[in-house]
Amino acid sequence: MRKSADLQPKDINLPADKLVEIDSLKTLPSPYDQEGMEPEFTEPKDTWKTKYCTSLDGFVGLDTMTRPSSPEEEDEFVRKFISGLEKVFADSNNNFLQPIKLTMDYCAKCNTCSEACHIFEASNQNELYRPIFRSEILRRIYKKHFTTSGKLLGNFVGADVDINWESIARLGELAYRCNLCRRCAQTCPLGLDNALMAREIRKIFSQEMGIAPAPLHAKGSMLQLQTGSSTGITKAALLDTLEFIEEDIEEKTGRKIKIPVDKKGADILLTHNAGEFMAWPENPAAFAILFEEAGLDWTLSSSMIGYDNVNYGIWYDDTQAKKVAMQQFQAAKELGVRRIVIGECGHAHKAAAVSADRMTYGDGKVPVESCLPLLWDLVKTKRLKFDPVKNNFPVTLHDPCNYVRQMGIVQPQRDILKAICPQFREMTPHGVNNYCCGGGSGFAIMQSLNFAEFRNKVSSRKKFEQIISAFGDDFVNPDIVKYVCAPCSNCKGTIRDMLEFYEATAKFNVHYGGLVELMVNALVTLDQPFLTFEDEEF
Amino acid sequence: MLLTIYILLSVLCFICFSAYKAWKYATMPIHSRLDLYPVPKEADRAEYGGSYYEELEWWSKPRKVSHINEIKDMLMEMLFIKKLFENQRKLWWASYSFHLGIYFLFAWTILLVISIAWPVIFVQYITTAIGIIGFILASVGNVVLLMHRLLESDLKKYTTPQEYFNLILILAVLLSGIYAWSSNVAQVSQTVGQLISFQALDVGTALTVHLVLLGLMFFYIPLSKMNHYVGKYFTFHKVLWENDPNLPGSKVEKDLQEAASHPPKTKWAAPHISAPHIKEGSDLNA
Repeated sequence: MRKSADLQPKDINLPADKLVEIDSLKTLPSPYDQEGMEPEFTEPKDTWKTKYCTSLDGFVGLDTMTRPSSPEEEDEFVRKFISGLEKVFADSNNNFLQPIKLTMDYCAKCNTCSEACHIFEASNQNELYRPIFRSEILRRIYKKHFTTSGKLLGNFVGADVDINWESIARLGELAYRCNLCRRCAQTCPLGLDNALMAREIRKIFSQEMGIAPAPLHAKGSMLQLQTGSSTGITKAALLDTLEFIEEDIEEKTGRKIKIPVDKKGADILLTHNAGEFMAWPENPAAFAILFEEAGLDWTLSSSMIGYDNVNYGIWYDDTQAKKVAMQQFQAAKELGVRRIVIGECGHAHKAAAVSADRMTYGDGKVPVESCLPLLWDLVKTKRLKFDPVKNNFPVTLHDPCNYVRQMGIVQPQRDILKAICPQFREMTPHGVNNYCCGGGSGFAIMQSLNFAEFRNKVSSRKKFEQIISAFGDDFVNPDIVKYVCAPCSNCKGTIRDMLEFYEATAKFNVHYGGLVELMVNALVTLDQPFLTFEDEEF
Repeated sequence: MLLTIYILLSVLCFICFSAYKAWKYATMPIHSRLDLYPVPKEADRAEYGGSYYEELEWWSKPRKVSHINEIKDMLMEMLFIKKLFENQRKLWWASYSFHLGIYFLFAWTILLVISIAWPVIFVQYITTAIGIIGFILASVGNVVLLMHRLLESDLKKYTTPQEYFNLILILAVLLSGIYAWSSNVAQVSQTVGQLISFQALDVGTALTVHLVLLGLMFFYIPLSKMNHYVGKYFTFHKVLWENDPNLPGSKVEKDLQEAASHPPKTKWAAPHISAPHIKEGSDLNA
């Protein structure tokens, strides 16, 4: 095992049980700077070591990548990787050719990106998680196998990384130690994107080698394409769930609301991350209450994939991303709606509005917009009336990377919170300079083996630090309800797990939820509070 | 005469290879969007990183684009290396000194040509001063950058022998230039005059060594990653700041139609890629 400080790109090939140990973590603010305030790391099980690649840092993200049982299998694994790497720079990757070529060609190795990375910082600058560490490995392998200078001059130009099953498997794992939040790209003096490099490695594994984390692929995008939703919810189950939500709305608010489904020619097709229906039904319920009270002409879709706006493909596989996105456009076209409005799901925003923007053209498209400008419009125009006193507790806002840093939707959610939450306070930093929740790019749903431990202790660490700091002295006071507003399903899931892992809800009364729940809670027309913090369940 | 041809050819190659590199990037197919905010052309929203997506029904509203903001940001980056200044001040001092020195030396070269055509003493003084400042700034910056790379382990472990060679080559050009020109300042104008009038150079050993190294540098830079003066335009303007939506009748739509007429010949091999499922992409239009 190498000491983190001594680790170099060519060490990816080093025979060792673990390439490095995470030997220290950044100290969290008080009260989490005390001994015993967070669970320790656990060792990977011996059975995992013989089956998976635990030799990077002990964690397993690629739960479908198993060790070869023969030299032939190992050779085939290496051959496929090299074949995939070649395709990244061929016409098979036209959609990303220019950006990836630029990042491959121009890195000055100035390490400006390192300071921007929350994982690098959380791990006390563990070399393994330096943004250019994985990029440089890929760059050196590429040079060695595909460039004239690499073939002729070898080590002189840095073509010094040898490959075998272990090194490639480690590189595959390492691609899942980056949240693809692209904060590093914001700081690069040359405008290069190490997150894109991580994503391209993921693509080689998925699109050429057929290897991707089960929660993203087999139980994610494949399940979505087969059943209509990555949650496995079918049309019949969706309709049952909506009935349940209608009953709950009535029970909680006294209002009889019929959630419109498959309403032809509606103005708005509202799409949710289907995880909301299962884990946080109060979120689609809150949307229904607001949209009905505002008198909007809206509908949900019950057609294949029309009711689940997730698109995990944008994290690891372009072809899956396109299949899902096209089906979502198809659902909107079938209903003849004027626009698709994306609910509180960050990656769904980016997938439908940005990533899918150039997947088709002309009649194949339906205009896509975020729910946030629409919600702000309802507040700004006083189409809905709010009483901010109903939300008189400390509230802070998490900025989902996908629609803040990567779409530029910064202000509407803040304007809403300023209007309805008298104790709203920002995190530091915030807006486009925010830190990822630690669940980005699939980490939120990757629960296999010990991966959640990496997320809770390392990738989410910076966000937890921000949450503690945002509430200041109020944080430790269990008598004060505190609310982390995370208008994104995956961020919400990550923050849920984080608060549970650090027992922040139980000990310090810290809660989380979406934006629309706060809006409904502050509605003048509602007699009872919508948010009841005694019971997290709706 | 051989040296004259060599130098002029190296400058020509520098320009042509750089232009070829730019052409290669410029003619790459339209790519998926990777905009990253703040995007300076987003007019009054640029300051906080906002975009047209904050607008209700954004596709039906006229876009507010500020090319002045974009140019301003571009100039801040070109003239001051703003991102490095903001995010890694320690390296900025050396990098900026080095790059500013190169800008000065570029200006010196232009002024030398001007001062030959317009031999005014004032212009000659200015030219000499700019040359001296350029050589000093570039050399100091280069040496400090080299020291950073040699002495700081987090830089050293990522630096390849070629990257040391790049810095040392430029340093050799600078130091040989300082040695050769400082021993005979009057020879600078004479040499430039001979070069632009395509005459044989009347130079000694020191200057010959400097010019050979200078020519080598001009041949080499566009072939190495030191041609980032080309790449940087594309990384910012064509990737991070390129957020033009694909609206009916837009240039983006036309580019996509053009790209669709050249489907890729190389296919990915994983089994799920070719699994039949739904109509894809522009097939939806059918």
